[in-house]
Amino acid sequence: MSGTHHDLEEHGHEGVKPSAEAGRHAARIRAIEALLVEKGVLAEEDVRRQIEYMEANSPANGARLVARAWVDPGFKALLLSDTKAAALELGIDASGPVEFVTVENTPGVHNLIVCTLCSCYPRAILGRPPDWYKSMEYRSRAVNEPRAVMREFGLEIPEDIKVAVHDSSADVRYLVLPMRPAGTEGMSEEELAGLVTRDCLIGVSMPSFEGVRDSAARYR
Amino acid sequence: MTPAKFEPGDRVRVRADEQPGHVRTPGYVRGKTGRIERFLGAFKNPESLAYGGSGLPEKPLYKVGFRQTDLWDGYAGRAQDALYVDLYEHWLEPARKETL
Amino acid sequence: MTGVHDLGGSPGAGPIDKSQHETEDWERLADAVTVALDKRGIKTTDEHRRAIESLDPERYRKLGYYERWIAATELLLVEKGILTREEIDQKAAKLEERWG
Repeated sequence: MSGTHHDLEEHGHEGVKPSAEAGRHAARIRAIEALLVEKGVLAEEDVRRQIEYMEANSPANGARLVARAWVDPGFKALLLSDTKAAALELGIDASGPVEFVTVENTPGVHNLIVCTLCSCYPRAILGRPPDWYKSMEYRSRAVNEPRAVMREFGLEIPEDIKVAVHDSSADVRYLVLPMRPAGTEGMSEEELAGLVTRDCLIGVSMPSFEGVRDSAARYR
Repeated sequence: MTPAKFEPGDRVRVRADEQPGHVRTPGYVRGKTGRIERFLGAFKNPESLAYGGSGLPEKPLYKVGFRQTDLWDGYAGRAQDALYVDLYEHWLEPARKETL
Repeated sequence: MTGVHDLGGSPGAGPIDKSQHETEDWERLADAVTVALDKRGIKTTDEHRRAIESLDPERYRKLGYYERWIAATELLLVEKGILTREEIDQKAAKLEERWG
């Protein structure tokens, strides 16, 4: 059995957070960076710029894309047909060989994103993924037990709604466009963006307004 | 890239091969049948890039939809639930029409 | 299953730990160096994934996320003849001495 099945029972939550070997690995990456700079393979500037770039991306970018799509049907169409172009319109640089696709939640479909093979995530837009997204447990169960997984996040999808899971197995990264909550008609775009959390963009949560988190109410 | 072989709606079967080395076809869809949801474009072949190859010619990539009940015994969700996986054309074969 | 990394549908997977650890500076450095090497065309994301997938299964499961990245980056730099393990060992020891 052990050769062909990845039984995770014994391993708990290892495999994401720094392990007992963290110190040794930290020393090695510092050594690697120093050597690469000494040899002219990388410039210190390359590394610094990359750190800054990563820190600049956050779920707030995703929230802005969603809020704009909620108020502007033309932008929503662009977001769904060409996410990179939509991001660029809002000053978010997601250029590169990786493609981005936004999947829309509707009254009939709820979307959930995972990368079972390695935890790929739309980093160029949203920044780094949360630890749980990278966990062996999420990578295993999001595909075969999506409703149970979402339940662990407090999200119950009604039985007549289809759950669509997307495994980012190749070079496309996914974002979820959640549905706009009822009762938000008078809100500004900025206020609307404030309702959209990172977890809504992955699919384990939905934007809530006035504490209405019951998904049955949201989908009616 | 040669023209994309499949169109949205086509039924396809994922090769059941156990190809060694770096591949981006998860084990859980091998040998399974689904439907082409959409064409995602052409990308350099990861199986070649992973070993320093050029990755050319680019390979067509598709979003393929599967019924969860076709993938997992005892699936505990709803019958209409689906799982979409992004798969390269060379891993897909046309599936025969359902006889049932 | 095709490898330790091919986790979709693994039996025995337990509840999801939703806690978040504070990203450490060396993790940011690991991220940045890996991506900078990619942007400079020295290695590809596909090689990086292949290197991670080649780790011993027990190590794969025990190491933290960025520890796997560091192991993979080292593996590729040595494979490509850019650095040697001995150089890295010596530099790591020297930095340890200097900074503790």
